[in-house]
Amino acid sequence: MNRFNPEIEQALARRRFIQAAGAGTVIMALGSLYVLSDDLTREAKAQTRSDGRPRLPPGQRVIQALKPMGGEPGDPSPGNYRLRVHGEVEAPFELGFAELLALPQVEQALDVHCVTTWSVLGAKWQGVRVSDLAERAKLKKSARYVIFEAAHGYTSNVALRDALKPTVMVAHRLNGTPLARAHGAPVRAVLPDFYFWKSAKWLTGIRFSDHDEPGYWETRGYSNHADPWKEERYA
Amino acid sequence: MPDGAGEPKAASRRRRKLALRPWLRALHRDVGYFAVGLTVVYAVSGLAVNHLKDWDPNFKQVSRTHQLALPLPTDDDAASKSALRALGVREEPREVYRASETQLDLVFDQRTFHVDTKSGIVHEEGQAARPLLRVANWLHLNRGKRAWTYVADSYAVFLLFLALSGLFMIPGRKGLLGRGALIVALGAAIPIAYVVLSGGP
Repeated sequence: MNRFNPEIEQALARRRFIQAAGAGTVIMALGSLYVLSDDLTREAKAQTRSDGRPRLPPGQRVIQALKPMGGEPGDPSPGNYRLRVHGEVEAPFELGFAELLALPQVEQALDVHCVTTWSVLGAKWQGVRVSDLAERAKLKKSARYVIFEAAHGYTSNVALRDALKPTVMVAHRLNGTPLARAHGAPVRAVLPDFYFWKSAKWLTGIRFSDHDEPGYWETRGYSNHADPWKEERYA
Repeated sequence: MPDGAGEPKAASRRRRKLALRPWLRALHRDVGYFAVGLTVVYAVSGLAVNHLKDWDPNFKQVSRTHQLALPLPTDDDAASKSALRALGVREEPREVYRASETQLDLVFDQRTFHVDTKSGIVHEEGQAARPLLRVANWLHLNRGKRAWTYVADSYAVFLLFLALSGLFMIPGRKGLLGRGALIVALGAAIPIAYVVLSGGP
């Protein structure tokens, strides 16, 4: 008996092709439905910020919770935590975690935008404004840039005027709960008007500098300015 | 040769030229063997970190909420012991930290329990390293620095050697004078086309 009838083989091959094509079409259709049903992104695109810019920067898609984006974790221990505020200042100082909590606290609903195209809107961050820390450190006139220092030598950099905006803070709580390790516990920087890599996790220091110093990602091909509304993702 | 004369010069030159190819093949083969381990590290880790926005290639995340019965003891150590007993945790915390009047943090190597001593709500959060991937990613991203920079640079040179020596492995129509050239051109066209079509940096 001939087990390899060419006609049967051909029919089976055709059937397999039709099945695969059908499955592919269904997957594509479901994918399209998923994109079309992205209400969060559609709603955000229709909104405008108080400064006139669209709420959602170009090329971004809204998701509901922060994604852990990696990095070499720092020590999550609040007992060991130290934040050093130094550089071009008259009165450098260090704070422990409890001392940070004892400073005037703010809770702000902020939008953050990751360079990998996701955005989380209106998450509630609690912590201390960088401008308050700068005031306590008494900035010298020579201070023009701020370098956020984090565990294992990670740094990010912004101009002083940007770091002193009232929305820029060092945060230890997110949406009412202590910051998770994956998001930089116990303390991270939050700079909502920049791509999120500027918001250094596992923050250990804030250094005021008289010159700009491109940070970890800025020296690896990413934009020094990182403005999401100008899509400044790469250098 | 029948007439006792030496072979013509052109044939001798051709034979000498061809003798280079076995050397090239042997080098290509051995450098290739040597590069296997590093290639696996860089390729697997490359796939992993290329999709950072879809998953965390280094850690598995843990995030849970628990409810404790109230009241908790007022002493921090006693409250910690009571909470951990209720949560079924046997290991000793590496730190018991009173973060605020109502928040007691119980810190372990891989996780932290944030205990709200007033409400009894406990947020457990932590991350466990993915055993091999985390190491591969650490190497790939050169987070360790120091000597690894030299290893990574050497590997890049080896890859260049493999690519360039590969061009001359096969003579004739399947080599660089025929089909090989076409495939090399196709491969080179991919980054060029991408840069042109995407508008570049």
